Amino acid sequence: MDNGMEGMLDTYLFETNSLLDQLDEMLVKDEKIGDFSSDDVNEIFRIMHTIKGSSAMMEFGSLASIAHHIEDLFFYIRDKGIDSLDPEHKKELFNLMFRSEDCLRGQVEKVENGEALDTDMDSFASEINQFLKKISGAATGEPEVSASNIGSDQSSAPDSLTPAGNLPSDDKAICFLHVFLDEGIGMENLRAFMIINSLKECDVDFRYYPSDMDTNPETCATIIEEGFYLSFEDGEMAAKAEDLMKSQGHIRSYELIMAPESDPEPETPKPDTGDTASKNAAPAPKPERKEVPQKAAPAGAPVKQNLISVNLTKLNDLMDIVGEIVITESMVTSCPELDQLNRDSYDNFMKSARQLRKLTDDLQDLAMSLRMVPISGVFQKMNRIVRDMKQKLGKDVRLTLIGEDTEVDKTIVDNIQDPIMHMVRNSMDHGIEDTAEERIAAGKNPQGEIVLSATHTSNEVIISIADDGKGMNPDKILAKAREKGILVKPESEYTKKEALGLIMLPGFSTNQTVTEFSGRGVGMDVVKKNVESVGGVVSLTSEEGQGTTFSIKIPLTLSIMDGMKVTVGRSIFTIPIANIRQSFKITAEEIIYDENGNEMVERIGGFYPIVRLHQFYGIETEIQNPGEGILIWVETSDHSFCLFVDDLIGEQQVVVKPFPAFLNCFELKNYGIGGCTILGDGNISIILDIPSLHTATLEGF
Amino acid sequence: MDEQAILNEELIGLPDMDEVTTVERCLTFKSGDLILYISTRHVIEIINNYSITNLPLVPPYIKGIINLRGQVLPVVDIQMRMGKSETECGNETCIIVLDIDSVSLGIIVDSVRQVIDIDLNNVRPIPLKRQQKLLDGMVTMEDGSVFMSVDCQALAKAQY
Repeated sequence: MDNGMEGMLDTYLFETNSLLDQLDEMLVKDEKIGDFSSDDVNEIFRIMHTIKGSSAMMEFGSLASIAHHIEDLFFYIRDKGIDSLDPEHKKELFNLMFRSEDCLRGQVEKVENGEALDTDMDSFASEINQFLKKISGAATGEPEVSASNIGSDQSSAPDSLTPAGNLPSDDKAICFLHVFLDEGIGMENLRAFMIINSLKECDVDFRYYPSDMDTNPETCATIIEEGFYLSFEDGEMAAKAEDLMKSQGHIRSYELIMAPESDPEPETPKPDTGDTASKNAAPAPKPERKEVPQKAAPAGAPVKQNLISVNLTKLNDLMDIVGEIVITESMVTSCPELDQLNRDSYDNFMKSARQLRKLTDDLQDLAMSLRMVPISGVFQKMNRIVRDMKQKLGKDVRLTLIGEDTEVDKTIVDNIQDPIMHMVRNSMDHGIEDTAEERIAAGKNPQGEIVLSATHTSNEVIISIADDGKGMNPDKILAKAREKGILVKPESEYTKKEALGLIMLPGFSTNQTVTEFSGRGVGMDVVKKNVESVGGVVSLTSEEGQGTTFSIKIPLTLSIMDGMKVTVGRSIFTIPIANIRQSFKITAEEIIYDENGNEMVERIGGFYPIVRLHQFYGIETEIQNPGEGILIWVETSDHSFCLFVDDLIGEQQVVVKPFPAFLNCFELKNYGIGGCTILGDGNISIILDIPSLHTATLEGF
Repeated sequence: MDEQAILNEELIGLPDMDEVTTVERCLTFKSGDLILYISTRHVIEIINNYSITNLPLVPPYIKGIINLRGQVLPVVDIQMRMGKSETECGNETCIIVLDIDSVSLGIIVDSVRQVIDIDLNNVRPIPLKRQQKLLDGMVTMEDGSVFMSVDCQALAKAQY
């Protein structure tokens, strides 16, 4: 049962979050044109309806109540047509909707974190109601409409009740159990079905009506109004069921009805009439109500989707297993005993092996593609941020999105959302000029622009955030860095690129005042750290007066990467290909020494330090002479240097495995050891983490 | 200590019904001159003939990492962990794979003996307070030989 609840909760959170995302996207889009299309009004209505229903089912009262009020509001708007609202009200409506969305999100977050929900939603709900009153007052000026509706409702109630009393046609049944559920519990059809299921589990034999209640959400309304029926062929069974009914939740009343010979008289409890009617007496006129399910049906009916949602951990497990298969496969095909086979069998073996190879490659690609999701989810969220900041900062900025459908590994998407958000905020806050006048004076379009783009290369995704704002002044950055005491060499020696790179150091924030959005001094360094944690690099370019561009380069996937295997002594290290620029041989004469005896080499016009891996890691090797080994020129976002290793073995796709938890206290990650991988022969190779290797070897002393 | 003695011990050590909870099945093994034991709760398996990949920048008692069917495990030389010389590689040298509160690791020992029941009530603390790095109790067997208990928590925590 617990597991069932967990699963339901997961599904609920997933659905609700995606609905809220959808809502957000729609709101931002519609606000740009300043109007809701009638499709969107329907859509919002539907979203709220779904959230209300599922929240009520999960018994999250506050969520259900907000969603319910918004649903009411949009029911009215849909009914009257969006055009009946004047622009002032529309604007207010947008703000109200954004706030409700935030409110819903806040609650959902609490559910996610397992915290208690706010119980008091009345103030917010009444705000929605007030707005509803305002627009309904403004549009028709008749609050009495609802009053008169109650009247008409009641008069129409008997009509609707007559069919309700009709017992389902079931010739064999000798008696019926007519059950009413508690009011306002939501998802009535499913609850009824749950009751039916639990009865069935107790070996009670019966049929139920409406018989499609588990699949047809429209039966919900029927069950609310008319209850549902169980039909029995056997009085004993009915008695048993009646007994069991007592232990079921959410049942308001039930009664046993004998199967009639002729026309049955409705035996529905009378008080129900009033209840149903007054409950339905929403501001909307009653006759319209019948249309609700029909209208919503085309949009909301569960169209058979060819999509399923899968728990991410299952995909991770799949990926792990596929990784193992790839490794095991190369273990098998490179098994030394194969040489002892005779020629024919060897050929046969290799033929099958190639076939297997192809299949595992396909399998690997497929498994990887399962984890890929478009980055649009993250990008869309930026729309909202830009919108909010536009209002707060009073800047006119438009956000242009390019390449939203670029696909990235799910883990990466989760990890880059915060960095991207931060950079967009930075661009809004510091990048774009404070006033339109400043922009006009600089000869630019008064409306600022932030371009958020994503593109693919063969094994990387490049995300860039470019603004056309005032750009950065390297001198100012240097001055600020000096003030903060984070310079490590004389100011004059900083190149422009290095100066710009300073803003990514901890404790740097050029904005003099802390604003709501940025400038807490924990900005870019956190961005950099987050991006590096998923194996990415951040770089930036900036022209004063032209704007600033941040680029993030991230590997497509975390768990599999291309690596270059190198040997040092008896150890095999793997260097990510993404970090490698070149490898070359040198002679001892080419090495240049500084006053401390540190080695450097000149390459394409620049000088680069040499790190001898065997020295740094204390590995014994016979290859000490620069002429015998090989240099690998590696680079990270802001550093470039050469590694001295014994030999290159070759390139291989490797599955990255983290180090065992036992070794965490040695912080190997800070010494250039990023993880490990299992090679085809079953041995382990250590994967080098180039940025931290640079920090460990060349900085700090 | 011969097998007969251990068998005797096992018979005598058999629990009364109301003492069941204090008896623990333990794996005994030899490391240097000591006979140590560890609860079988923590023991996953015993392996030998594994090629160990050395790790740079870790204390010498961490011999490296091994690939156990796709799982990467650290391997600790338990003798060096206790501040003694390196375990010499012999015929009976093997790796005991442990899982201590979901920390997995392997320990290199000279030889594995057998599984016995030890009544925890008979386990005495080691009287020398300051010197134990890894052992947290001792128990005298029927034949007078002494087994030492490995402190799993200490073992699971790597230190410099």
